[in-house]
Amino acid sequence: MRFARIGTVLLGLAITVGAAQAAPLPVQERAPGVYVHQGSHRDFDDADYDGDIANIGFVVGEQAVAVIDTGGSYDIGLALKQAVEKATSLPIRYVINTHVHPDHILGNAAFVGDGVRFVGHAQLAAALYESQDTYLRDAPARADGKKNTIVLPTIKVSGQTTLDLGGRRLLLQSWPSAHTTTDLTVLDEQTQTLWTGDLLFTERTPSVDGDVKGWLKAMDTLEHKKRVSHLIPGHGSSPQDMAAAWGAQRHYLTALLTDIRKGIDAGQDMSEVMRHAAAHEKNKWQRFDVINPRNVNLLFPKMEWE
Amino acid sequence: MLRSRMFWLAAVLLTTLASPSFAGVDAPQWDKVNNGFFSGKQLEDGPFIHITAPKRAASGAQVPFAFSIDYPSTRDDYIKNVTLVVPENPVPLTAVFHFTPDSGKVDIATRIRLEVDDYVHVVAETSDGRYFRNAVPIKASGGCGGSVGGDASEARKTAGQMKLAAVEPVQAGKPAQARLMIRHPMYTGLQRDLMTQGFRPAYYIKNLDIRFNDKPVLQADTYIGISEDPNFKFYFVPDKSGKLTVSAEDNEGKRYQHETSVTVQ
Repeated sequence: MRFARIGTVLLGLAITVGAAQAAPLPVQERAPGVYVHQGSHRDFDDADYDGDIANIGFVVGEQAVAVIDTGGSYDIGLALKQAVEKATSLPIRYVINTHVHPDHILGNAAFVGDGVRFVGHAQLAAALYESQDTYLRDAPARADGKKNTIVLPTIKVSGQTTLDLGGRRLLLQSWPSAHTTTDLTVLDEQTQTLWTGDLLFTERTPSVDGDVKGWLKAMDTLEHKKRVSHLIPGHGSSPQDMAAAWGAQRHYLTALLTDIRKGIDAGQDMSEVMRHAAAHEKNKWQRFDVINPRNVNLLFPKMEWE
Repeated sequence: MLRSRMFWLAAVLLTTLASPSFAGVDAPQWDKVNNGFFSGKQLEDGPFIHITAPKRAASGAQVPFAFSIDYPSTRDDYIKNVTLVVPENPVPLTAVFHFTPDSGKVDIATRIRLEVDDYVHVVAETSDGRYFRNAVPIKASGGCGGSVGGDASEARKTAGQMKLAAVEPVQAGKPAQARLMIRHPMYTGLQRDLMTQGFRPAYYIKNLDIRFNDKPVLQADTYIGISEDPNFKFYFVPDKSGKLTVSAEDNEGKRYQHETSVTVQ
């Protein structure tokens, strides 16, 4: 039994390595010219974490392609690049990062080349620079060797900006501190597909690394965008019922804030609050037992001073 | 015998395979701690040193860590010093707490930083000069070198704000719990800064002096392994109502003071 497990683990590694090197990443065309690869719900701390947990993809215009997030390792980025090459012969003009987290940006390195410009929130470069040591150390090793590197954005978005792919425009919007301090959403005007980055999670427990109140506020705006016809969340499936997806996330985040606040007011310590905060949400979300305590760990020390 | 060896080998193999990201150590580095910080002293096992910490920390930057020591607290027999060491941290020495018989009991809860998975060591020195040790493993990452977050100039403005309170009811002659929170960014000196292309200079609280009616109840030397916005739960023994005072100093020489009234029932 024990030895059988070792065998399975090794086999798993071999398959992952082989797949990442050889094949384009599987993508789905969710709307005309809008391709998405849906990540799994593994966690950074899992032994089999392979960097492939975020939703990443690309939009093809008449003259050029924009990649939106690049995955959690050089290899994932390379496989995504191969998926682009399989779908179109047009050049990649932009690589857009929706925020700083390693599962969305470590694939950037695979796209470095002539004519490719990296785009992110105005704060992204500084935040990535600060976090690089941890991100690179914890990056999935696999076949990447030392190929994982940090690539900083040169087009820095504050407020809104538009990118032109030739006959197709992407509207980029940067947000005040929400899921992180570096959140950027991308709207494909042609199909009204909104890439929310991690401002929306479906299925997987939303993780917090910024300001929950800011996040709820950003959700107010995003949820009420009238014409949006497709949502690409940062993690999880694209929801059929968009209002329900926003509502479920709002419910969790509100419960989390309320329960932490109650715990602090009752003089409970952080570990105690980790055990009970938002506990009744547990069955609605995947990886709750890992992500929910992490959220408390990040929020509690800040909320103590509010 | 062979069977049991085989079992251990399998267990070790499994552990190694199951946690490829384990960047720290597989066993407490007793010798490293002994030689590095208690050279020439004999450190005895201290099973009466109780440590409460998560096996896997949700955040390496804010790891809840508590220790309590079952040991007398009398005028001539008490725990004098307790040292926290995280051997694999860039600055392994995390804090040294100094107690007196007026501390009542050695029971501290705080939050620490771990850069990688590691054993956290607690070494206690008794008033008669013996040393006892214990350690627990914690999985964690990025606590010392990770992102700073927040606004640096704002952090400087609010540095040194404190909250201090004793947990009521407080009774004369009995150990009472108090809680101290200090606002301070506790920059580690290992956090990168894009503006300078270098590292943000270290900026941290380096010592604490907590007194009740001017008698020391807890003093501490603190280093960058103590988390941002340091947070301590500790005990003291009030003989009557009075003032609990805190004086804290950071590495830039700035001193911060705070006090609260304690009423015994």
